[in-house]
Amino acid sequence: MLKFVVRRLLLLVPILVGLSILVFVWVRALPGSPADSLLGERSTPALVKEYEERFGLDEPVYVQYWKYVQTTAHFDFGVSAASHRHVTTEIKERFPATMELALVAMIFSVGLGVPLGFLAAKRHGGIFDHGSLFVSLIGISIPVFFLAILLKYLFSVRLGWLPSVGRIDVTSEVKHPTNFYILDAIIERDWKTLVDVLKHLILPAVALGSIPLAIVARITRAAVLDVQNEDYVRTARAKGLPPQAVDRRHILRNALLPISTIIGLQTGLLLSGAILTETVFAFPGMGSWLREAIFNRDYAVLQGGILFLALVFVLVNLIVDISYAIINPRIRYS
Amino acid sequence: MSVAQAESTEIQLEAPSGLWRDAWFRLVRNPGAIVGFSFILVFLFTAIFAPWLAPHDPVEQNLLLIANGCCPGPSSEHLFGVDPLGRDLFSRIIYGARYSLIIGIVSVAIGLSVGLVLGAIAGYVGGFVDSAIMRVMDVMLAIPGLLLAIGIVAALGPGLKEVMIAVGLANVPIFARLLRGSVLAQREADFVLAARSVGIRRPQILFSHILPNSLSPVIVQGTLAMATAIIDVAGLGFLGIGLKDPDETPEWGSMLTEVNEYLQVAPFLALIPGTAIVVSVLGFNLIGDGLREALDPKLRGR
Repeated sequence: MLKFVVRRLLLLVPILVGLSILVFVWVRALPGSPADSLLGERSTPALVKEYEERFGLDEPVYVQYWKYVQTTAHFDFGVSAASHRHVTTEIKERFPATMELALVAMIFSVGLGVPLGFLAAKRHGGIFDHGSLFVSLIGISIPVFFLAILLKYLFSVRLGWLPSVGRIDVTSEVKHPTNFYILDAIIERDWKTLVDVLKHLILPAVALGSIPLAIVARITRAAVLDVQNEDYVRTARAKGLPPQAVDRRHILRNALLPISTIIGLQTGLLLSGAILTETVFAFPGMGSWLREAIFNRDYAVLQGGILFLALVFVLVNLIVDISYAIINPRIRYS
Repeated sequence: MSVAQAESTEIQLEAPSGLWRDAWFRLVRNPGAIVGFSFILVFLFTAIFAPWLAPHDPVEQNLLLIANGCCPGPSSEHLFGVDPLGRDLFSRIIYGARYSLIIGIVSVAIGLSVGLVLGAIAGYVGGFVDSAIMRVMDVMLAIPGLLLAIGIVAALGPGLKEVMIAVGLANVPIFARLLRGSVLAQREADFVLAARSVGIRRPQILFSHILPNSLSPVIVQGTLAMATAIIDVAGLGFLGIGLKDPDETPEWGSMLTEVNEYLQVAPFLALIPGTAIVVSVLGFNLIGDGLREALDPKLRGR
């Protein structure tokens, strides 16, 4: 087991080095200098020069890359050219928002998708099966931002049940020490804020979780259909085990294996989707932040933000791989 | 019936039905795939004949139409109503089909061809070449798809060609992995050994023996990639970082950008372009699923 983990960790190194080069080169390839886009109409050669000196943009590329690697290794992503704040500070504020959103979306999709897929497989060929297949097909065919707009229209513009923008009521003056608003509210036992935060999360999370929901339901259905004709399931039934016990201990437990790998892959989808969902709901997370950074040509933010997100993605997949090896011993020895 | 006729029918009956023929028969009996086909036919027809179908100029503004506030809904003159700049939404949707179709096809073609070549080389040559190619693919896969596409557009600048390249490149690792896996699985197959033992050269084995046998998963993935490409293009358009003049260009995704302000008064501005995206994506997904079932009978009903 340890060998497996070490090997998996070593595989990370070339990916991280490649990633840092890719992101670094990419940022240099962006058109227009950051000084120009920041200064806008006030841009004069002298001012541009001053900016380039301040942000080290006048040095040779390899020097810039080496500096970048050194500082990145210390989790120092530099200073945002737009807000003049440390990128790390901004990530500390922005990432918890996106993580909270992604987690709730994930809970929604897995919590609903697994039972749906299971039921569909149990009633294979029935109306419920066809219905859920159809709905999941729509689910993977609808762009996340369109679904977000539809939900926003229906539940906040039309019905007025849920707030349409932001993470928390704008008049709220509650402090957030960890920036995980749900966690903060629970620690402080501030139930009113908790309800408010959850209300703000529902629509973006449902929009973001819909595609994973469709995928999880489909995979679960296929996995259960696969497993339920296995010999060990027949044996369990022949032994006279109650059907629920067979369902739970023999079918579902084995069907969950492919589902767990899907969760890792979905993280990428969630992070991509977050950019679009956060834009629709003006949600102050990583997605809307990166979008602004692209328009502002904010080198430091783009570099740090993308590298950070890719890191999260790689780490989540690492954790999923390792836990997969724990659940499924067959994988360790191959 | 003469003997000759009887013989010919008999021969036809006995003729071996190949994989593709079989698949075709299974495909046309699949109601989902038929629905998908009809969606795509409408989509193709609209895209090709847009100038003849559209009643108005898609970019011509008629501010008189919105003089009494935004925005007049569907009417006999303007089937889908008009947008906040007084442009005919029906015509914009029709022209929008062109953008989605062209960008979709070209970007999938880019992703497919680059991915296939890289994947085939990696799988067949193996060793250092394999590791080098696949590590680069791993790095590309480590950046979530849309983010990668956004990054490429940001570097290349906005424009039709640039969006195609961006969405296409984001697809490369998927096809490379698919083909590499398929080639690896076949490299030791009996028919490859047989070909090698009679002295056929390696590139020829790769191109005329291994690749044709890897075709069916590639076709399925290609169809599904069309669906994702349309969604990605719309996503870029929606964020306003795809095309040069997102306000001008009748692209479905960018039509959804500013509807936020008009949701209260004119929800149809969001509903109509969104539905156009869903229908075309659904069409490709239905065909892709149908093809998968048709080409791999094991998966039937899954």
